[in-house]
Amino acid sequence: MTSAVASNLLADLLSGPRPAEWDKLREEAETRLARLDLPTTGDEGWKYTDLKALGGITFGPAPEARVDVSSHLLPEMVGTRQVFVNGHHAPHASCVSAVPAGVRFLPLGTASEACHALGTVGPVHNQSPFEDLNTARFEDGAVILVPKNLKVALPLHLLFLTKAETPVAVFPRLLVVLERGAELELVEEHHGEGTYLTGPVVEIRVAEGAVLRHERVQRDSVEAFHLGTLKAEVAKGGQYHSRTLSFGARLSRQQPWVRLAEGAEATLDGLALLGEAQVADTHSFMFHAEPHASSHQLHKCIVDGQARAVFNGQVLVAPKAQGTDARQQSRNLLLSETARVDTKPQLEIYADDVKCSHGATVGALDPEELFYLQSRGLNADDARNLLTYGFAADVLTHIPVASLRRALRQLVMARTQAASLGDLA
Amino acid sequence: MSTTLNVVTSQEYKYGFVTDIEADSVAAGLNEDVIRFISAKKGEPEWLLEFRLKAYRHWLTLAEPDWAKVDYPRPDFQKIVYYSAPKAKAPKYASMDEVDPELKRTFEKLGVPIHEQAALAGVAVDVVFDSVSVTTTYKEKLATVGIIFCSFSEAVREHPELVKKYLGSVVPAADNFYAALNSAVFTDGSFVFIPKGVTCPMDLSTYFRINNKESGQFERTLIVAEEGASVSYLEGCTAPQFDTNQLHAAVVELVALDHASIKYSTVQNWYAGDKNGVGGIFNFVTKRGLCKGKGSHISWTQVETGSAITWKYPSCILLGDDSIGEFYSVALTNHKQQADTGTKMVHIGRNTKSTIVSKGISAGDSSNSYRGLVKVQPKAEGARNFSQCDSMLIGHTCSASTFPYIEVQNRSAKVEHEATTSKIGEEQLFYFQQRGIPAEEAISMIINGFCKDVFRELPMEFAVEATKLLSLKLEGSVG
Repeated sequence: MTSAVASNLLADLLSGPRPAEWDKLREEAETRLARLDLPTTGDEGWKYTDLKALGGITFGPAPEARVDVSSHLLPEMVGTRQVFVNGHHAPHASCVSAVPAGVRFLPLGTASEACHALGTVGPVHNQSPFEDLNTARFEDGAVILVPKNLKVALPLHLLFLTKAETPVAVFPRLLVVLERGAELELVEEHHGEGTYLTGPVVEIRVAEGAVLRHERVQRDSVEAFHLGTLKAEVAKGGQYHSRTLSFGARLSRQQPWVRLAEGAEATLDGLALLGEAQVADTHSFMFHAEPHASSHQLHKCIVDGQARAVFNGQVLVAPKAQGTDARQQSRNLLLSETARVDTKPQLEIYADDVKCSHGATVGALDPEELFYLQSRGLNADDARNLLTYGFAADVLTHIPVASLRRALRQLVMARTQAASLGDLA
Repeated sequence: MSTTLNVVTSQEYKYGFVTDIEADSVAAGLNEDVIRFISAKKGEPEWLLEFRLKAYRHWLTLAEPDWAKVDYPRPDFQKIVYYSAPKAKAPKYASMDEVDPELKRTFEKLGVPIHEQAALAGVAVDVVFDSVSVTTTYKEKLATVGIIFCSFSEAVREHPELVKKYLGSVVPAADNFYAALNSAVFTDGSFVFIPKGVTCPMDLSTYFRINNKESGQFERTLIVAEEGASVSYLEGCTAPQFDTNQLHAAVVELVALDHASIKYSTVQNWYAGDKNGVGGIFNFVTKRGLCKGKGSHISWTQVETGSAITWKYPSCILLGDDSIGEFYSVALTNHKQQADTGTKMVHIGRNTKSTIVSKGISAGDSSNSYRGLVKVQPKAEGARNFSQCDSMLIGHTCSASTFPYIEVQNRSAKVEHEATTSKIGEEQLFYFQQRGIPAEEAISMIINGFCKDVFRELPMEFAVEATKLLSLKLEGSVG
């Protein structure tokens, strides 16, 4: 079957592992794709994000490659890492010697238990074809299964590296299942060089009382397109806390979708640090399906150059979701004359006994705060950089993995020119 | 608490009656001939007919908008009567005694104190009954300071140069589906012109009334305030009870030149349909103000309690440097009502400021949405916006939504948006009842407190009316 989107965008890709169980899933995705075209700014969900830049590029299959990953390793997770290069699992770079017994942390191709569970979390994203593209074309990815009541002490590290000589497309697939009462910290990083399209899809199931903490770092190449989908279903009393930090990509779009059952909790924090002509778009959907769940979102963007930040945060409270507590904040800092922010926090509420709020701010640095720092001896540049760093650091403070926290703080310091102030990390 | 809440909201529509006046109507349906008929009937100049026909031809190319969070049977535009005028003895009445007694009785039932105007000093009423302006009061007094306050048709006849200059300058004929329809078929409305430096000595007021069955109303209002002028304009609405849905697609244009100020207040209480959602007005209105001059100021205040479907976004285009736009809104929906309302603030000039305060109350099975846009264009140095959108839910079968669009292209802009949703707490009610205040009264007090920031922007008479209206509308829904 030829699909309009796929044939315009992609050269024929190599076919990856294709267990028969996935045939139906892939076929359905192909059928939907056949009817879809790339969304345009005429589509409400893509009003502020123009995919025209994708139009002229044909992305080919990404070859397997060997790379040196030493610079990407984090000490806490040396023995709990799975590395994917150009979408393919890289055994030479991976190491799972420290993964505790009982935890399954495997490449997709070798995890037969993933066959039936894949593609079952949440609805198919209907505003964009990228989830379907992934489902139809994914070649590899990872599966994480944590058994009942196991609290995993070490964080797990997933590293996706892409090195593109010519434009390539990769569609990593990730499935994370936490059984009842399990706990896990997961770090998912995307790095790359060259022009490529990455369309990861992450599916998460958090069972009753389980807790998943998920750090997501997007440091793709500034020539890259990152079009990601994340879907999480959190069962009764479960918790899902994620933090998405976007630094790279010429154009990135994150589409997290979270469904909360009774008494569940979710956090979707985000930071986007943008310059030049980068575009970072976050379209989140927080679905309070059942009573007494709570959700918190803090999304911050620092926008410089001709960059553009887009945020669309939807919170839906179903009729029976009484006792919902939903908070959402979109905070945006504009650093240049030509930077632009489009933000749209959205509440849709069908239950009456709820506490829901959202807020959005857009502005430059506060002249009074700048004056305050200057009155204490900082020069104008340092004062500006320190405040900019402080605006971002707020989101980084609670990253549980110390080395990652430090690395990201240093990155933010460098990007906000705050490094001259000394080591604040 | 639920028993009291349920007893209180079921008040029947008080103003449901039909006045029997032989209408001078055109057959239902819309085509270029109908437009020519309307234009000829009103003795319009050629350019206005051209304006109408151009709008009509553009309208034919448009599709009815479907992005709003409302669900209703699409009107059949060929079944609507586009012109009906009450039969008048003379083009204008010399005094109130000449007015059709039937018509006067209608106004009495409505509580429009037309024969008490002299006593009710300070309010001049331009009454629009169906589509033709019947009587205008205080015109002479206003004329002495150079203010023109008349029906739109009269303005076309007496002041064509002003109408031609400003008509469609804020809401172009091709602006949107309903604005284009209005531009093609509008029958009458109000025209206000405040000359340079004049502060209008009284609040101007128009009562609209939809009367004839099947007659959609297409009002056109144009208010122009010249340099340094200021005016406060009041619009209030009630309509009789009908079973067939009635379409109302008005266009209101405001133009404020340098340092001019226009305050536009609305209390809207059209028939909302019965408890099962049968009947009721479709209110698809385009209201927009242009702060054209430096330091100009436009303020919209609305209390929306009626209509089956409301689709209304009074907006401000802040073109002049230092201009100010304001939007204060209370929208209450009950039973099967659906409202999708809000505002647009478009910052174009430097140091422009806007404030949005929106309070939505939903009860029964209703749906109440705030939809707004705050746009800061690249040259709007120093733009400032503050938005506060709160929703209150009464009962568990209604819904409240917030869709604020914020687009900022200037870094010196400061834009803040806040929204909250909550319900009347049982503790709050308990506290009132403990002090001997019955639940119903307590709810009314809580709602009034919730809406206070908007009510205090209303002219005094309207504020009193609005407070009563909300209590009335919520009767039976709380308990």
